[in-house]
Amino acid sequence: MRKCYDSVQIKLRMLITVLLIMVVMVGYSRQASQISGKVVSVEDNELLPGVSILVKGTSRGTVTNMDGEFSVQAASGDVLTVSFIGFTTQEVNVNGGQTTYEILLESSMGDLGEVVVVGYGSQRKADITSAISVINMDNVGEVPTTNVTRLLQGQAAGVQVRQNSGRPGEEMEVTIRGIGSLGAGSQPLYVVDGFPIGTSLGQSLNPADVESMTVLKDAASTAIYGARGSNGVILITTKSAKEGTVNLDFVANQGIQNIPDGRRTKMMNGTEFAQFKNDSFVDRIRYYEKREPALEEIPLEFRFPNQNTISTDWFDEILNQNAKFQNYNVTLSSGKGGIRSLVSVGYINQEGAVIETGFERFNVRANIGGKINDFISMGWNIAASRSNEDYASTNGRSALIGRALWADPRYPVYNEDGSFNDYIGGTNGVFGTANVVQELHEMERTLTENNLLTNGFLEFTFLKDFKFRTSVNAILDNSDQKEFRPSTLAGTGFNQAPPREASLYQRRNETLNIAADQLLSYSKILGRHKVDGLLGFSAQEETFKYLQGNGNEFPNDQVTYLSAAIRQTSTSGEADWSLMAYFARANYSFNDRYLFSASFRREGSSRFGSDNKWGNFPAFSAGWRISEESFMPETPWITDLKIRGSFGITGNNAIGNYSSLSNMGISNYVLGNSIANGQILSNFANSNLGWEQSQQTDIGLDWAMFDNRLSLTAEYYNRLTNNMLLSVEMPVISGFTQSLDNVGQVRNRGLELALDYRTKFNQLNIRSNVNLTINRNEVLEIRGENDEIWAGGFYSTYSVSQVGRPLAMFHGFEMVGIFDTDAEIEAWPNQDGAVPGTYKYLDTNGDGVISYDQQDMIEIGNPHPDYVLGYTLGGDFKNFDFNLMFTGAFNYDVFRQIEGSTMNMDGVFNILQSGVNRWRSAENPGDGRGATSNTWKWQRESNSRYVYDATHVWLRNITLGYTIPKNPIVPNARVFFSAENPFLFTSYIGTNPEARTRGGINIGVDDESYPMPRTFTLGASLRF
Amino acid sequence: MKKYLNITVICIGFLLLSTACDEEFLNKTDPTVLVSDNFYQTEKQVIQAVNGVYGQLRSWHLSQWQYTEFISDNTTLHFNQGDRGQGPSLEALEFWQYNPATGNITNLYNSTYGIMVNANTTLSKLPESNATDAIKMRSEGELKMIRAYLYFHLVQHFGDVIIITEPVKSPAEAFEYNRSPVETVYQQIISDLNFAVGALPASHGSDDVGRVTKGAALSLLGKVYLTRKNYSGAIEALNQVTGLGYGLLQKYEDIFDPQKKNHQESIWDIQYQGDNQIGVNSNFIYTFAPRESVGAVIDFPGQDGGGWNTPTNEIIALYEEGDLRKEVSLKEGYTNLQGVYVGVPYINKFNHPHTIRGVTNDNWPVIRYADVLLMLAEAINEVDGPTGTAYGYLNEIRDRAGLEPVNGLGKDAFREVLLNERRIELAFENHRWFDLKRTKTASELVTMLNSYGLRERANPTTSREGIPFSNNDFIFEAFEILFPIPQDQMRINSSLVQNPGY
Repeated sequence: MRKCYDSVQIKLRMLITVLLIMVVMVGYSRQASQISGKVVSVEDNELLPGVSILVKGTSRGTVTNMDGEFSVQAASGDVLTVSFIGFTTQEVNVNGGQTTYEILLESSMGDLGEVVVVGYGSQRKADITSAISVINMDNVGEVPTTNVTRLLQGQAAGVQVRQNSGRPGEEMEVTIRGIGSLGAGSQPLYVVDGFPIGTSLGQSLNPADVESMTVLKDAASTAIYGARGSNGVILITTKSAKEGTVNLDFVANQGIQNIPDGRRTKMMNGTEFAQFKNDSFVDRIRYYEKREPALEEIPLEFRFPNQNTISTDWFDEILNQNAKFQNYNVTLSSGKGGIRSLVSVGYINQEGAVIETGFERFNVRANIGGKINDFISMGWNIAASRSNEDYASTNGRSALIGRALWADPRYPVYNEDGSFNDYIGGTNGVFGTANVVQELHEMERTLTENNLLTNGFLEFTFLKDFKFRTSVNAILDNSDQKEFRPSTLAGTGFNQAPPREASLYQRRNETLNIAADQLLSYSKILGRHKVDGLLGFSAQEETFKYLQGNGNEFPNDQVTYLSAAIRQTSTSGEADWSLMAYFARANYSFNDRYLFSASFRREGSSRFGSDNKWGNFPAFSAGWRISEESFMPETPWITDLKIRGSFGITGNNAIGNYSSLSNMGISNYVLGNSIANGQILSNFANSNLGWEQSQQTDIGLDWAMFDNRLSLTAEYYNRLTNNMLLSVEMPVISGFTQSLDNVGQVRNRGLELALDYRTKFNQLNIRSNVNLTINRNEVLEIRGENDEIWAGGFYSTYSVSQVGRPLAMFHGFEMVGIFDTDAEIEAWPNQDGAVPGTYKYLDTNGDGVISYDQQDMIEIGNPHPDYVLGYTLGGDFKNFDFNLMFTGAFNYDVFRQIEGSTMNMDGVFNILQSGVNRWRSAENPGDGRGATSNTWKWQRESNSRYVYDATHVWLRNITLGYTIPKNPIVPNARVFFSAENPFLFTSYIGTNPEARTRGGINIGVDDESYPMPRTFTLGASLRF
Repeated sequence: MKKYLNITVICIGFLLLSTACDEEFLNKTDPTVLVSDNFYQTEKQVIQAVNGVYGQLRSWHLSQWQYTEFISDNTTLHFNQGDRGQGPSLEALEFWQYNPATGNITNLYNSTYGIMVNANTTLSKLPESNATDAIKMRSEGELKMIRAYLYFHLVQHFGDVIIITEPVKSPAEAFEYNRSPVETVYQQIISDLNFAVGALPASHGSDDVGRVTKGAALSLLGKVYLTRKNYSGAIEALNQVTGLGYGLLQKYEDIFDPQKKNHQESIWDIQYQGDNQIGVNSNFIYTFAPRESVGAVIDFPGQDGGGWNTPTNEIIALYEEGDLRKEVSLKEGYTNLQGVYVGVPYINKFNHPHTIRGVTNDNWPVIRYADVLLMLAEAINEVDGPTGTAYGYLNEIRDRAGLEPVNGLGKDAFREVLLNERRIELAFENHRWFDLKRTKTASELVTMLNSYGLRERANPTTSREGIPFSNNDFIFEAFEILFPIPQDQMRINSSLVQNPGY
């Protein structure tokens, strides 16, 4: 392996040498002279300051001054590229003799001349024939966020961004054009400055460093990323210096975060819970013994609920109200001269909405680049970050939030002497648990991550139309995690009173990812023919290592290191993957009207079976700019009109590193009273394991109207995922219940609409963007016709994927009411164990029995929204500006897990406040939603009662800004106010309709995650 | 100049297309484990592969009590209102509420075939390995003995089962197998055991104590014959065991003492080791101790047991006055840390001091000499009635227990006495369910279990805190003598036919 790696490097070095020689040989220069002129807006004939003027193919350029004038060195035959935001870029030929020029620029909102970053290159927007969304950073607003994924929210059709929890620093869940895989991952590939860093962006990139983002959605745009293109690609470009300017930017943003009342799960208070326990004793005796209980039969602690004096709202106790948020960024950029550079420093600190949690990060980034001479240009980028997180395990019933909700409210947080009350509950059938407040204070849980990313390129221009670019990328990531649970805390399970054995977990990870790309590109305009070509080679390798230690039983809780532990165990490991690919792309356009593009990638991956390591990923697309045709009438309705279509094949390799191999696992025994090493097969080998492939067809329409004031992009897509990488069941007589195989087919097809509108009323500029996504998902095939994949469990909910249905539909009993009487139960199909007050279920298979297994379970909910909406409204008036951003998802279901845990009324947990309206007798049937406390059977199991419509609209962000009038000290200054996640409009009674507590395809389960704060910040940005 | 450029282009093309080391660059194996393709070659690897199978038996035995004691009239549970998670899985076995979806039956079925694949794979790779002939022979004997033991469990639990004796090469191949009749399964078992009897040594060197022996194979063969009612075959096999130097220990409690492991009476023990965190420990007492004992039974602060496999009132009452085994086998209650006596019984055989919470050192006796003697007595009685030899074996056991010998019984009465003696002597060692199936007809079993169920419903061994039984609890029907084939397996392979009644 080492030898091979070296040989890739040798190749690279040889290549550079050859090219350097060549560059020297072709190096020569022409005579240039000074030319000057001014730039004027066509519309209102005003002089334009700040317009960028570049001698094409060189690094020479300038910017017009306050009077719209410029001067630059150029030779006859050179071409000046004149560009300015909001205007169409113009190219002006320099003629020998002419030294002054008046250049007229045409206004163009939604500029078609704009250049868009695409895979391994960039392309003029007008020439694009595939489905690409460019995130307009103006529409994002001043978002107080630690993670770049937040910037994608609500911004592009077909891109769904879910905020699963309010954990500081959390990366959001991004899905492009639906879930395409049942077995492998569905996350997009993130490419930062040309470097494919993986299917998770992680926490190291500073949102303030992001210049632009492009989302590649169809196969024509993603096939160039081959085996990682199936789930879409997100290209992120970080900031670099603007040509001709020197700036010092300072941005500060500070604020507070709170959990609004509507985002809290309401539980019974101490008195209500005591009353519930009292009632449940009474009801049981009344029903089973048909008599009135004597007062003494009720345990003393519940006998007089009204005398209950303690009522702890555990959830409230763990909240950190008015949690601070602060973010500072300083950027120094220099764009004067041939070599441009930028240095930025950022610091962000987000206290958690839960006490003793928080996230903090330092970022530095520096890049330098530009033209060395007319033939060589280079760039180098280095970014480092260090983050510290004080975390807590928060999601799910047995984690912090869950326990804060179900802990017995009749216990105080503190004892009378001010010490923590260290054991909550644990009497009369109520589960005992640790004091969550104490746990947050006394547990040490930290995660520190250091991330170093560096990449650079060298680009040679030769033979006028050719470019060769060689680049290397590397990420080194180290993390250190530590968890110490002191002996003072009760156990993590139920009824484990303190003191317990202290325990420590400490782990270090290191990931090194290195990639090298070689790109040869060609670009030529021959009259009406325009040709671009690209040839490339890419290799990437990742090595992951970890070292982990566990310690148990500590002499004290003060020394919290492994060396102090009386018992220690340790483990270490390593995992690697590699890929190698050859690729090519050709774009051809004729007369700016007929556009064609084709790409091909052949990629090999270490993750696949020896018989199937290599995959081929072709794609084709074509476009027709109808508006350019002479037969099209000149009408304000059509500024630009293009129809386009594409087809391509992409892959998915997100299956884990060694899945095709059968490995030996350890199964030790004891022989002769000592340990004897034993080895067993750990999985079923499949050397045929190959690529999961997606075939995607896309038809799109780009239509700009009224001088680009209104533009519409509409897409239809049909994405078929074939040969899914799926863990398929097989008869266990093989020794294993499952093996990974390429089977089945899933289809995602849908419509995307993006409508952009800009207008001006006097001094009020308004821009508005709405994007709509309609995705329909269907499993077309698994293995056999009636095959189904079940995920989840009997006591939560099942996510079932069946042929002919969308994947991961909720399955459970269909609840049709509550039994009121024994007679009613008698008349109903046999539901063993039901008593009056039990949920009444449908006997769906009609066998007369509602069996206590999956037989009568049917589809009870759909976790996929009918449509998803993003809406931005922004504008400015004089010095004021504003931006509003909404997201919405419509007509989909969430399974609310906490109801299954607490609304079975077994009283081992505190109960949702709504449980006070439960069924108590036929005369007092409650709200028809809560069951009797006389039995729990049939109330914990997956059923339709716990499925809720989660249709919602979030007002995600409001930003209001005021630009301070120009003054000599600070030429550009702006102050702003931002409200993040201020309002949620929904009928869903849980706290977060986007919650997705479970992984994999067990989607749409809300199991009480980290609460979502509402954040208000005030900030200022200064530019010197 | 143009010439140079052409050379450059060619060079680039060459570099881009050369693929000399691609395959090497793309071949990644997990550095932390070995790949099975390269395993089973050296002698050491063969031994490790066999050890791996024993290792699987070690974890498999942690849950076998569920299917053999818990399901029977020997033990019950201490009902836990708060923990409903085990309702449809573990409690279903106790209350005979199991169905094809019962998780713990699926676990039994899956884990048994999960061991089988390693036995079969190692057996198939043995001939090509570099191991010495002696190791090959021993290993083949061990693996076939273990395979027979597993099929013996499967056939008793499920009736007709799929026989697989080779690893499958592709998932598709696994669909070609179907259930074989009980008779064929027994032929397979007997053939494997006959091989093991010939291949295994009577004892192993001190480094290998814990491996199965000729004695273990003969004892198991005897038990298989006894189950098949081939009494002469059973007598022949078991008589050979008596000549191998085994004997009863003087004190019943010593049998289970972790300080005296692998003693004269143990023919096959599953080996566990405590006092370290390597993961080869047992933890039976953590499952069996009363659920609210809070450190009073297991000597760690706040430690509760699982409250499972609780001795029933019925078995407690069965102990004769003065039976020395009673205090060793079970406790009728405990005194909690507040000094209050709590009358929740528990199994005491596997309750010994240990240093690490959750990590015990107790071995599990699979076959011990007392079992062999009682089987011999049973077989002899069936052939010749209660002869002096039969009484001799029975009274040897009773004598150690401090009980008076029995005499002067008829054949049927002797059979009943013997069955009770087995119930007490081998209590909670996973014999009861199979003993009942072997000695009772289906209708006898149905009558017997339902009357036990009625008694347990009327007067539960442990308090249910006012929670009534479900209507179908403790109702035993004849078809429930066999477990259902797990639902998942039926669904995956539609050519399988389910046991009647499910």
